[in-house]
Amino acid sequence: MEEHKTVNFMRLLSDDSTHSTVSSDSCEYYQTEIFDLLPSIQASRPEQSRKPSEAYQDGPVPGEESVYGHLSSGPRDKAPTQPLRNMVICIQGKRSARERRKMQISESWRRSQSINRKRVLAQIGGALSGLLPWQHTLHAIEGRFGVGVKAYFVFLRYLVHLNLLHCVLICGLILGPTLFYSITKSSEPLKFGGNDSVLDFFLGSGYLDRSPVFYGFYTRGSLNMQCLNTPLLYLAGILTILFLSLILVVRRTTVGYKHTWMLGKRYSMNVSYKIFGGWDFTIQDPAAAALKHSFIRNDLKLFLEEQSFSRREAQRTLGQRVRLYLLRFFLNLLVLALLGGAFYLIYFATKTSQDVIGHHWLVSLVLEYLPPIAISFVNLLLPQIFRKISSFEDYSFTMQVNAMLVRSIFLKLASLGIYLFFIFKTTKKPHAVQCLENLFGREMYKLCIFNFLTAFCNAFFLNYPRKLLHEKYPSSFLARLWGKQRFLVPFNVLDLVYSQTVSWVGVFYCPLLPLIEAVTLMATFYIQKFSVLRCCVAEQRMFRGSISSVLFHFMLLLGLLMAAATLGLNLYQPEGTHMSSCGPFGNGQSVFNVTGVCVDSLPGPAQSTLRYLASSAFALPLILAEILILTSYVSRGRANQKAIERLKEMLVMSSSDKRFLVKQHTTMLRRQRNPCRVRPATIEENQPLTPSHEN
Amino acid sequence: MGNKQTTFTDEQLEAFQDCTFFTRKEILRLHGRYRELAPHLVPLDFTNRPDIRVPPTLIVSMPELKENPFRDRIVGTFSEDGLGNMSFNDFVDMFSAFCETSPRELKTVYAFKIYDFNRDSFICKEDLQKTLTKLTKGDLSPEEVSLVCDKSLEEADLDGDHKLSFSDFENMISKAPDFLSNFHIRI
Repeated sequence: MEEHKTVNFMRLLSDDSTHSTVSSDSCEYYQTEIFDLLPSIQASRPEQSRKPSEAYQDGPVPGEESVYGHLSSGPRDKAPTQPLRNMVICIQGKRSARERRKMQISESWRRSQSINRKRVLAQIGGALSGLLPWQHTLHAIEGRFGVGVKAYFVFLRYLVHLNLLHCVLICGLILGPTLFYSITKSSEPLKFGGNDSVLDFFLGSGYLDRSPVFYGFYTRGSLNMQCLNTPLLYLAGILTILFLSLILVVRRTTVGYKHTWMLGKRYSMNVSYKIFGGWDFTIQDPAAAALKHSFIRNDLKLFLEEQSFSRREAQRTLGQRVRLYLLRFFLNLLVLALLGGAFYLIYFATKTSQDVIGHHWLVSLVLEYLPPIAISFVNLLLPQIFRKISSFEDYSFTMQVNAMLVRSIFLKLASLGIYLFFIFKTTKKPHAVQCLENLFGREMYKLCIFNFLTAFCNAFFLNYPRKLLHEKYPSSFLARLWGKQRFLVPFNVLDLVYSQTVSWVGVFYCPLLPLIEAVTLMATFYIQKFSVLRCCVAEQRMFRGSISSVLFHFMLLLGLLMAAATLGLNLYQPEGTHMSSCGPFGNGQSVFNVTGVCVDSLPGPAQSTLRYLASSAFALPLILAEILILTSYVSRGRANQKAIERLKEMLVMSSSDKRFLVKQHTTMLRRQRNPCRVRPATIEENQPLTPSHEN
Repeated sequence: MGNKQTTFTDEQLEAFQDCTFFTRKEILRLHGRYRELAPHLVPLDFTNRPDIRVPPTLIVSMPELKENPFRDRIVGTFSEDGLGNMSFNDFVDMFSAFCETSPRELKTVYAFKIYDFNRDSFICKEDLQKTLTKLTKGDLSPEEVSLVCDKSLEEADLDGDHKLSFSDFENMISKAPDFLSNFHIRI
């Protein structure tokens, strides 16, 4: 069988199906007599009673059949056991079918029991989902602002749950054992001492330095067995947190990925979904209905714009193309230069914040917070510049949005990465007594606090005055310049991802950071709720790509990988370069020492297995096995794609054969009935044979 | 079994429970809603099976259907005469098909019927154009409507006849991500 491109077939058949060259009587092929006798049509008809037995009312049954008859799905053999509710006939038909089935009493009782059970389970499910925090708020937000903004709040709630889970793990594995088995600090209870002040809560020094918030608190306690001691539990707690987060985030990413991208571009049915599945039938509020109408309309307008853009793009001459690529190259260089400048600024801020001694307390506070201020400034200014740049690059609208999004994500995570790199490389140990790890923990703590303060100030000192300005003086110059506040979902999600990454990076040096993070996230929920409901106006456009949950969870995964890499690089240091004097791994015991002692104490076979697993001789076969498995999946996927293509072509062919034969049959039948009708016979007789033999 | 209601006989309620996805209480509540639409027309007592039909203008004024752009088509699909005059049977049938426990296959069949404006059991280009016009409230120009409909037919038409048969529609909607949650009316 020759391989034909699908395009050829479609063109060939369109002639045949839109005007009948076979019969001079214009009739739709499905209205012909033989159509109802076709096996495929017969198979799709449900078993119906032909006579209306003691029906509720005498309804027109034959009319029903011809209209509804060949539409219901479900093969014939399913009919006797198919529950009545699922049958696609009106209630009279169901009642008569029920009469016929009355014999099987016990079956109907069993079925009604299973229905009741399912109903109870559904009600329990509904009650539980109603118990989820803030469900009512989310519903209200969805009604007023659409699904995109609701997705942000759902993501926020997910992060709160994640952080609370981390807190539980920390309490169980880190805080609990240390408090229980501590030997040295039990005599001095934690209270406000000599040099402590309120400023300590912002700087993380003094009072907080001695508290369980930071690494230095967790010394090796009285639990001193070889394989069960507080340092090992500490390490196990941190590793469990990171590993659990990895599993949860990867699971969410792949679930979303399967839904959105499984079918590939070729089979994407975006426009059809928007038309047939786009309207939400549960909408009852006129404002929500108007919003949904505008979303659908804007989606379709976006699709149309992309079509016209791709047409324009295809018409570009060679000269235009070359100029465009050169322009894009230079613009990307400009972007890289800007990024380089931003990173230098962060380095400069980090260096400056190192020497804070001898200044007035306010100045030293600002100096200590200089790196977070620099990072936030960079992340506020550069995306605006990126947006201006991308408007010169002549991409389609969605491509522009995606490009800006990718650049912003890279900027945010890279600025954090650069900052961490500079901290870990340039922090000098000030005194022999002070704890280096506590210094790192303090930086993370400051980042977390500053994020929260930024969100707070943004909502109350920027958005609220803006809204008041629009209400009181709507036509003033400032109001027109500033514009109405819109809730930009991707950038707010990026902020959430950033704060969660900070929490992951800092959890080793500041174990109570997830708790602080959970509290700040909950406060952020209410702040953003205030900002959205009171100050913002609904965004008229909704870019599906930018609000997809796959993107959010992928960003989270990037953050997690960065945190894991940072931690790994920090811990993996050759012996002797850095001896920590505080915390669980103080007193000259590095991480490897402690784990080495534990592994040595295990029985022989377990020890050798563990050593083998950690060695490189195991890594190579593992990688090879993974490559083999991946290759088999990819090749199976490709073979399935080819099979789908072939089946589609076969379907088109059989369908056209069927139409042709039905029309031929009808023509011949009609010719038999009216032999005296004059007809241009020569045309039919010289018709070519069935299209399937043509090529 | 506690409260004595005289709207339906027990046997009628059993029949309704078997034929729809509603419980006894919900069916009685639906009867209350049906009666609310036309209290002078709909009797309180249905035990002797009165032949009452409520005109479509009253039914589409229900809050559940008022904002729906396809409300006329919905009411027309589920009514016996095809014009929208619904008996109580049709009323219950309609909400049963749209309720949460109704399976995907049932919803797909009824969705196809709703979108098939000329009831020829195919969704042709004119049906698509009418659907789109109702969905966008006439905001798109005719050329844009035509372009979108062409694209949709190109995506979903599997057997190449430039119409969507039920199997084309079913195949397309089975992969739609939020069809089930969208095609649902709470009553």
